Amino acid sequence: MISRKLQYAVAALVLAILAMGFYLVHLKRKAETISAGPVTQALTAPVIGPAAQMTLYLASDEDNSLRPNTISSALPSDPGERGRLALHTLVARYLQTGSPHPLGTGADVHDVYLLDPASAVVNLNAAFANTHRSGIEVEQLTIFSMVLTLKAQLPQLTRVRFLVDGKSRDTLAGHIDLAGWLDVAMVAEASKSLQ
Amino acid sequence: MPKEHPISVRVTLLLLLLLLAIGFAAEPRRVSVYAPQTNYQVDILVRDGVDYVGITDLLEPLGRLESHLEGKKLILVFNGGAAEFQEGKRQYRTRSNNKLELVSNFLLVDGRGYIPAASITQLLSSIAGQSAEFHAGPRRLFIGSTQFHYSAELRRAPSRLVLSFPTPVNPSSLIERNRVRLLFHREAVVSNGADNVSYGDPFLASTSFTEIPGGAEFIANILQPATVSISDGGHTVTIAAVPSPTPVPIAPAAPTAGQAANQARPTVPAPRSRPFVILDAAHGGYETGAVLSPTLLEKNVNLALARRLQKELDARGIPVVLTRVADNLLTWDQRAVSANTSHASLYVAIHASGSGHGVRVYTSMVGAPQAGQSKRSFMPWELAQWPYLEQSGMAAAALVVECTASGLPVRSSAAPLRPLNSITVAAIAVEVAPQGNSPDELGSAEYQQKIAAALASGIASLRGKLEVAQ
Repeated sequence: MISRKLQYAVAALVLAILAMGFYLVHLKRKAETISAGPVTQALTAPVIGPAAQMTLYLASDEDNSLRPNTISSALPSDPGERGRLALHTLVARYLQTGSPHPLGTGADVHDVYLLDPASAVVNLNAAFANTHRSGIEVEQLTIFSMVLTLKAQLPQLTRVRFLVDGKSRDTLAGHIDLAGWLDVAMVAEASKSLQ
Repeated sequence: MPKEHPISVRVTLLLLLLLLAIGFAAEPRRVSVYAPQTNYQVDILVRDGVDYVGITDLLEPLGRLESHLEGKKLILVFNGGAAEFQEGKRQYRTRSNNKLELVSNFLLVDGRGYIPAASITQLLSSIAGQSAEFHAGPRRLFIGSTQFHYSAELRRAPSRLVLSFPTPVNPSSLIERNRVRLLFHREAVVSNGADNVSYGDPFLASTSFTEIPGGAEFIANILQPATVSISDGGHTVTIAAVPSPTPVPIAPAAPTAGQAANQARPTVPAPRSRPFVILDAAHGGYETGAVLSPTLLEKNVNLALARRLQKELDARGIPVVLTRVADNLLTWDQRAVSANTSHASLYVAIHASGSGHGVRVYTSMVGAPQAGQSKRSFMPWELAQWPYLEQSGMAAAALVVECTASGLPVRSSAAPLRPLNSITVAAIAVEVAPQGNSPDELGSAEYQQKIAAALASGIASLRGKLEVAQ
């Protein structure tokens, strides 16, 4: 014979399980409602600072070229922030409709870290690499345009390393080597044939 | 009374036994396809004792394929031809409204169409106009005129069996006590009509040739120890008797010190001819590279182009080796090791891209090592290319000249590319893009041939120059 106390305990546990189940369904629906909504993403951070010239090296798939393009923008004084803003602006250009060098949806630069004035680490998001088109030239244009744009903002820069979601990655999309440091002078030299 | 196991234990044991049975089941059955563009394998699905192959798996590597599923009907458009299949029916219709019959019913499994393996040749002929030959026993399919025969000749003094092939081969050789086995896994070699031959020679008793699943096997039953060597750019395989260590005859006149040393040296088989160039078709296996079009993958274009280039170089008498000849993936380090141990003078990686136009030639963007290091210093693996950059630049320039002369848009630059940094000979990567705007152009035999001819001329112009530089 099962005791009355044990019966109450089992009934309470069953009720608790049912209640938690309903709550879980409620949370899932709530999460789905949030993710289904429009994604709002600030591609360039609002900056307060004096207006200055910013040079972006824009890649074009039309003639497979890299060309400097100077714009006026408020620039932060912190070098890391300045580099990040420059890359955000560059990526925003590539994400625009009709871009001459389109990147995949959701591509973004998480951050730019300066280890010292000469060494920068660029942390890309996973979508940047995962949705990038595969090919030597198309990957080369993307990476070279980012390195040269950074160099334009940070003249002391001599080497750049790319990470994806904070982790080292062998290649951008199967071709261009991202596993090591890129020598900025060598990138600039190799880019001459693209300008 | 023995203790009864609970039901859960019995069910678990039964599942484990089932898993073991599946694990030890026969190896997966596949059809090996040899096509002018590439070689590949297609899995076989067995239904009611009949071998079936997936139409998409079979046709996708061969050209442009589109398929639409309408209820139980599958409509297939392939390289200009078309066919309509109905699930559970043997009859199918082609674009010209011909009604043909498969040897057994058409299957639809998870939205994928399957035809009996025995009907492959009929299907290829009816919808693509391609001739094909299917060897049902070894499950080998030869599309077009890819299959080739070999000839065997027993030569004496010293005793050796010379096998000649019209296209380069690279079989695995297994030398056992009384026989030599040559396994052709990638080559479309077929019987020459004399499968079993008796020689009755003191070195060679007999030979046999058999097609096996996934390839072919040549066995030489030998009576003396033997060696196997490949020469003539892969066109010749020689099974030679190892000479017995006989005493060196004494010369009537006293030889010089140098002559004596030469005579005392045991005879060794002639070294394998050294390749001039190693061609590396990039990507392979699950790593497809760029998806150039819904039916065209970079890995397949790379391999097809490497093969065409190989033929062009062979025609110019330039020894060449391919890192991969089938749809398999090699790591970057494996590619670099292949190049470095081949003792070739030039490494060429082949890539394809749907973006841009023409041909791009890349050299390594390797940085200089620490100050004070000379080109003769020991180099780290990732800087190994540095002493050879000048030769790589020379190779890139030669290819640019020939591509320009052939009317192909061409550009050259340095890029951070693997495995170029670890190659210890002149090393370049070539990326080909369409001339027009359609990436499908990359699958065209005519365009591939034009590029292969231009690259081969560029490589041929380097002969002599790179060896001197080395």
